[in-house]
Amino acid sequence: MKKLFVSIYKESLLLLRDIEGLILVFFMPLCLVVVMALLQHRTFQNLEETKIPVIIVDHDNNALGTAFRNGIRKFGMFEVTEITDTNPNTIIEARRNVAEGKFQIGIVIPENTTNAIKTRVLDLVRKQLPLSFESQNQTQAGEAVISLFFDPITKPSFRDLAQSKLNEFASWTETRIIFQTYSKIIDSFTGKSTDISYPDEPIITYSEDSVSEYTGGLTPNAVQHNVPAWTLFGMFLICIPIAGNIIKERNDGCMARLKTIPVSYLGIMSGKTFVFIVICMLQAALIILAGIFIMPLLGLPKLVINHNWGALFTITLSSAFAACGYGVAIGTIASSYTQAATFGSVSTVILAAIGGVWIPVMVMPEIMRHISEFSPMNWGIRGYYDVFLRNSGTIEILPAAFRLFIFYIICTLTSLYFRKYSSSK
Amino acid sequence: MDDKSIVEIRDLIKRYNGRLEPAVDNISLEIHKGEIFGLIGPNGAGKTTTLMILCGLLKPTSGNIRINGSDLSHDLNLIKKFIGVVSQEIALYEKLTAYENLYYFGRLFNINKKELNPVIDALLNRMGLFKYKNEMIGKFSGGMKRRINILAGLLHNPKLLILDEPSTGCDVQSRNVIREYLLELNATGTTMIYTSHLMDDVEKLCSRISIIDYGKIILTGTPAGLISLHPECTSLEDLFLISTGRYLRDK
Repeated sequence: MKKLFVSIYKESLLLLRDIEGLILVFFMPLCLVVVMALLQHRTFQNLEETKIPVIIVDHDNNALGTAFRNGIRKFGMFEVTEITDTNPNTIIEARRNVAEGKFQIGIVIPENTTNAIKTRVLDLVRKQLPLSFESQNQTQAGEAVISLFFDPITKPSFRDLAQSKLNEFASWTETRIIFQTYSKIIDSFTGKSTDISYPDEPIITYSEDSVSEYTGGLTPNAVQHNVPAWTLFGMFLICIPIAGNIIKERNDGCMARLKTIPVSYLGIMSGKTFVFIVICMLQAALIILAGIFIMPLLGLPKLVINHNWGALFTITLSSAFAACGYGVAIGTIASSYTQAATFGSVSTVILAAIGGVWIPVMVMPEIMRHISEFSPMNWGIRGYYDVFLRNSGTIEILPAAFRLFIFYIICTLTSLYFRKYSSSK
Repeated sequence: MDDKSIVEIRDLIKRYNGRLEPAVDNISLEIHKGEIFGLIGPNGAGKTTTLMILCGLLKPTSGNIRINGSDLSHDLNLIKKFIGVVSQEIALYEKLTAYENLYYFGRLFNINKKELNPVIDALLNRMGLFKYKNEMIGKFSGGMKRRINILAGLLHNPKLLILDEPSTGCDVQSRNVIREYLLELNATGTTMIYTSHLMDDVEKLCSRISIIDYGKIILTGTPAGLISLHPECTSLEDLFLISTGRYLRDK
């Protein structure tokens, strides 16, 4: 135990005397989390919150055109610019604006669209109730073709969503006209004016809720995802300074001296692991605090941590163990700093990618979802999601924490085996 | 192993993985208590490999080694307490002070703080480094680092000191201080195994030497005795060149 304490003391001194290195260890992951949260904020935002710039050229200038424009504006997801001038050049102008990227969607409502719909509805009613139209002239049924054109860089998901919303609205307008026509016919039969208007709101509405025990109804957002995800990434990147520390010690001959002293390799590595675990914990605390206090200042949502401190501490500690164990293994096995830095950084990026740091595992292809099961960062993220989004307690996150701790043990045993093997070469 | 032997090496062979030629080829040696034993040879002759095996840093391919009556392959931890090692590298932490370096290594030998602090002060004083006690090793000159490097192997008062080129790169003054201190230690009963390319140091320090080349011991005896056996030699350096040849050993 005395040897462990003195190793911790030595490692702490070495670390504290490398102030620049220490600042980088804390500052870089913090920067990474903030930048990634800002970048991914839009992706995580509900599309309803995003305004799509739309230009509407209304040559109809009638009931449908007006209702259509008002309705589209009411959806809230469009930033609407209207042109009601019936000059044909306005269509060319609108197309050019969309092509230049000033608008993502252009909508052209041609002349007589309202009349075309009305005529079609009247034709249908005439076929059904011929007596009611005896005194009226026959009309020619027209076609209502609303043109849509998109900026080529508009994401397919945006196009689909916009198109589906427009279809929804066109159907509603058409139904409204049908309703009004039938309403007038019925009034003429009964001789009374019912004056019933078609309801502005849909009859069927949807209520949405995340299945979470959290009473606030918390849903994943850029901050809730990025803070734990990039905290884990930062933790695992600590494998590079740990490995560098071990390799420097070996190259300087200090490790050879330590081998001539009655102290175990496990004891020496435990001293390093302890100090770097403390660094990881402080790093995580700093990033979480940034999520709570700094990110809202940058226009991002505030990190909600649910106050399950035991669970949060357990998952952070076990992640720190896994990250430090990984660093010790790389430092023991790599024969040069270049090897360790290259392998450490690239493998951390790979583990992060398959673990769901960049994109959540749920949107990965099936094979990648299976592969992600093998990434310790995936176990860590799951643990953090449990704490932050599902309001899980310490018991619930134990399986994830246990996996991370087993990973640490495997890394440590690998280091010990490799150390033993290298002295018999 | 007789009473006067402190180290007994029997039929020692070390063959590195992937190498056909053994680095150490069937060496047998006895080192007596209280002597300073010099192991000299050209680069790649097998000196450092032999010392690394004696320190437990490498495992031999075959052969037996007994140190102070204990078998190296079974009682390594016991032997580690008995020996002190001074490597040819400056095995110190540059960002720790002289005191912190010595304190760290001393504590790993289980020396308690109360006993350790006076030992550190005395050793630093003896090597003329006491006033630099709280300065970082990174700021020391090469000679100062060498002296601290030696002290780090002496904290636990070892009975056998293994020195692998301890004064390489030192100026004349530092070499002189080191030499005097090693003789002083030897006078208190510390046995030493010493390797160096500095034949002058070997001649002045060692009571007995072995010349090793291509992993084999080719000569063993007192420096004066060996020189006298070769009338054409006037110094240990002459003897060394006659025994190992004048061609360069770049590999």
